Amino acid sequence: MIFRAVEDPDLIRKARRGDVEAYNLLISRWEKRVYNYLLRIVGDREDALDLSQDVFLKAYQNLQKLDDPARFAPWLFRIAHNEAFSSFRKRRPEGETVPQSDFAGEDIPASASPAFPIELSIAVTTALGKLHADQREAVILKIYQGFKFEEMAEILSCPVSTVKSRLYTALDVLKTQLAPAKSRGVT
Amino acid sequence: MSCSPFDLRDYLFDELAEENRRQVDQHVRSCGTCHEELERLRITQTTLLALREEEVPQRIGFVSDKVFEPSGVRRVWQTFWGSAPRLGFASAAMLSVALMFFTFFRQAPAVASVAAPDTLRIEAQVAARVNTAVERAVAESEARQASKTAALLAAAEQRFESQRLADMLNVEQRLTVLQKHYNVRENLMARYEPPREMK
Repeated sequence: MIFRAVEDPDLIRKARRGDVEAYNLLISRWEKRVYNYLLRIVGDREDALDLSQDVFLKAYQNLQKLDDPARFAPWLFRIAHNEAFSSFRKRRPEGETVPQSDFAGEDIPASASPAFPIELSIAVTTALGKLHADQREAVILKIYQGFKFEEMAEILSCPVSTVKSRLYTALDVLKTQLAPAKSRGVT
Repeated sequence: MSCSPFDLRDYLFDELAEENRRQVDQHVRSCGTCHEELERLRITQTTLLALREEEVPQRIGFVSDKVFEPSGVRRVWQTFWGSAPRLGFASAAMLSVALMFFTFFRQAPAVASVAAPDTLRIEAQVAARVNTAVERAVAESEARQASKTAALLAAAEQRFESQRLADMLNVEQRLTVLQKHYNVRENLMARYEPPREMK
């Protein structure tokens, strides 16, 4: 008998056949990443949780439309991206885009790991808050979620060149803000 | 400003091919400016990662409610259409059933009794028409052959008669020539007859 780990495509196939428990297992693997992505986009824990539930419900309803189960992650984050920006549009008057200062980190206390001082987390939160929403989302998808450029392009529905442009512009800003701060903090 | 052969940010995010990555490695070891730039990028990345992910305040999950689950029929239907071999087997099975149904439940005697006279009558009609057509075709063929033969015979007779007349004319001409030769010879003989005293 050969044992192997149950992978996402296995769970997706079971969920497609109506196996809710398999889908719950799939959720448990992805809920933390989706929640944190949304938290950093919308800036409110309650909203992030509500949106996360909506994302997983929508994903379950549209699971039959997922062509390649191996591409589940970018497909799921595409739904999350759409849900987040849909909620922005509902909350704001028509035509008004997401403002530059509307960043999650401003409303929530910075959570740092024991290895890093709280000041560093606050500095990061502040630096991220200075980015444009598109640039910040590119940083979140690349640095915190570890997606490849092609996957980011799929999630954001734009060319890879646009993704790179947003990310590298943001990186220049962050480098100016954080690299000197880090060196001052360490020394 | 970096003088690296490839973008240091692509290198940082592991978006370069292995060969290109090696080239950047070599360059960074020998170039102080690029080494410093790469260090700054790494510090930036590490600093950003100081912001750790939060735990989900409440687990997300769905309960298995019969109202929201697809019905058994729908699930079977989806499963059925989702499997090509099963679909193929089902099609073959349906075809077999259809063939067996028509084999055993077809009203063969009734069809035979009704169809037999018609078939015989039609066969007789067809045979008669075929015979008539064959006879007509043979007669026409024979007539064509006879006319061709007659024409050939007439042509041959005509050629023979012409040849005969030509030959007779030729013989007559030769006879005329011989006759003339003979006359000439007679005249000459008569003209040069030797005197009687010499005899």
